[in-house]
Amino acid sequence: MLWYKSWRDTRWRFFVGLGVLMLSGVSVVLIYPRVLALVPLVPSSDVGGEVGRRIREIAQLSREFRGYIWAQWFHQNVRQEWTVVSALLGTGGLVAQGSTGALFTLSLPVSRNRLVAVRAAAGLAELLVIAVAAALLLPIIAPAVGERYAVVDALAHAVCMFAAGAVFFSLACLLSTSFDDPWRPLLIAVVAAAVLAMCETVLRDLQPYSVFAVMSGDVYFRTGHLPWVGIVASAAVSASLLLVATVNLARRDF
Amino acid sequence: MADAPVVEMVDLHKRYGATEALRGLTLHVPAGSIFGFLGRNGAGKTTTIKILLGMVRPSAGRATVFGLAADAASGSVEIRRRTAFVSDEKDLYDSMTVAEIIRFTAGFFPRWRDDLEQRYLRKFELPPDRKVKALSRGMRTKLALLLSLSRGAELLVLDEPTAGLDPAMTEEVLQALVGHAAREGMTIFFSSHQITEVEQIADAVAIIDRGRTVVSGALDDLRENFRRVQLVFDGEAPAAAFEAPGITRVRRAGRMLTVLSTAGAEPILDRARALHAVSMDVVPVTLKEIFLESVTTEE
Amino acid sequence: MLLRPNPASGVPIYLQLMEQVKHAIETGALRPGEQLPGIRPLAEELVINANTVAKAYRELEHEGVIELRHGAGAFVSANGRPKKATEKLRAGQAVVGDAVRRLRERGVTDEEIRRLFEAELAGVAKTGESRG
Repeated sequence: MLWYKSWRDTRWRFFVGLGVLMLSGVSVVLIYPRVLALVPLVPSSDVGGEVGRRIREIAQLSREFRGYIWAQWFHQNVRQEWTVVSALLGTGGLVAQGSTGALFTLSLPVSRNRLVAVRAAAGLAELLVIAVAAALLLPIIAPAVGERYAVVDALAHAVCMFAAGAVFFSLACLLSTSFDDPWRPLLIAVVAAAVLAMCETVLRDLQPYSVFAVMSGDVYFRTGHLPWVGIVASAAVSASLLLVATVNLARRDF
Repeated sequence: MADAPVVEMVDLHKRYGATEALRGLTLHVPAGSIFGFLGRNGAGKTTTIKILLGMVRPSAGRATVFGLAADAASGSVEIRRRTAFVSDEKDLYDSMTVAEIIRFTAGFFPRWRDDLEQRYLRKFELPPDRKVKALSRGMRTKLALLLSLSRGAELLVLDEPTAGLDPAMTEEVLQALVGHAAREGMTIFFSSHQITEVEQIADAVAIIDRGRTVVSGALDDLRENFRRVQLVFDGEAPAAAFEAPGITRVRRAGRMLTVLSTAGAEPILDRARALHAVSMDVVPVTLKEIFLESVTTEE
Repeated sequence: MLLRPNPASGVPIYLQLMEQVKHAIETGALRPGEQLPGIRPLAEELVINANTVAKAYRELEHEGVIELRHGAGAFVSANGRPKKATEKLRAGQAVVGDAVRRLRERGVTDEEIRRLFEAELAGVAKTGESRG
């Protein structure tokens, strides 16, 4: 019954997240023809400094559909949208918001560990569904603009998204065991993500090791191999955060 | 009644930062009794109840329910399998309907009593398809009661069950509690501000003040032993002569002395006669007066 | 049939209940051999603790006013004790009526009279000394 309650508590967020990701993916696919038309207009000479270099890089990749999807969607939109959606799914919790019967839940014969476990498992399942569904939309919609996108690529990227998203999900879960209101965990998680992103921009050498690199599946795009190290590391970080969340909830007075 | 108390609290302490909510609370709730728990706001009633249910961990001392430690994780789950709780806020799942929350709760209790569920659904006139957030306070209390009484629990813990209810609904709630306790042999432990209702249905009470038990025992014993004696003397009333164990309070107003005793009026009257009291008045004391005397401070 | 006891009166509820049963027997509302309400239904009807009802019934049985038949319930005693109680009470009523009348003649108010009786019953009576 806890699974059912978890689902009920998060279903609107699930649908919103699903909608956002799917819309984002579909719109990126649909504007491809227009982008393709603009590519020849990008100057090939060395102007504009760093920004110019990146625009030229994206333009170059966009000549090919697969490259375009990676450069425009996975490497850009997904990094922001997915981080927020993951954190959003992780906030709240079975005893987080006082107005939905926290004391009643705590008076039921379930251990606090189980409360965190069910909540986390249900949320992660939702996360996986969104990642896979949004990614699979790409091969489905691509023919509409006359292109093809491999299902294998979609699934591989979905796995990477899921692994990285789980980190922010778990962070939000942990923060929710300390804060009762729904906004602070989300806010803090998003701020933490922004700080991480800024560090990554500043410390270019750390880029390959960042969670965002896992999220956009950079390694997979370039080499065709899944970033196992990144995935395992993300999983380990998520697990640790959830463990701390469990301990935190067990200790807390209500 | 059975010998072993269902709930036992020995020297419980709870500190929240700089505040000490409980300072050595000791209490025993006999099995099968209806036990009233009285105290002023902030005296520590809710904290005590939360400790029993594993929602709060004590800083020191021992609390056991059914012989199981309330602050041990596994013991607490077992306690909650056999205990039902109604919080003072009657906090339930706002977004579920009555029927949904009943089904949800029933899923946790293999000993769920469908017959009781049906009986209380009818008796309380709860609309199955209405959302919890659309229920009035009284209806929410009745729903919380239904969820508690139908689960086949041995102990029912209630925090201010009739707070905010009109007299008619209060009677309904008390009647349900009394009837259920009589039929199922359940122990009921409830905190309340409504002294009259405690006097009506409880057979044992405890009064707590500032984190400690100040009075406890069977209600009938308390009623038989608490006496107020008013004495008038010719000269200055000799207050000191009456200070003794069993004397809760001695108040002097000139030539008049008011003595509150927990051990009957006899010893006081003997002493008063020896000191040539001019007049002696003995009055039985109501629970409300016992409460007010026990918790008002005179420093 | 039985009135709600007053929990705030200072008199234990079981005593109030006993008094009511005796009164009912006296006035004929309950006749010898007739069955009293069951403990649980009565507790529920009066919204009082079942243990309190049980105690009242036990005490009444101890005084011979009622009989508790195992498995069947509580019944008013069939013998003549209730009648004796009635006579005793009638005689007592005469004494009290006389005392109250005389105290009133002396200018003692009703409230004072009540307090005198309370004190007398509560403890002073034992020593047999009269109050000042």
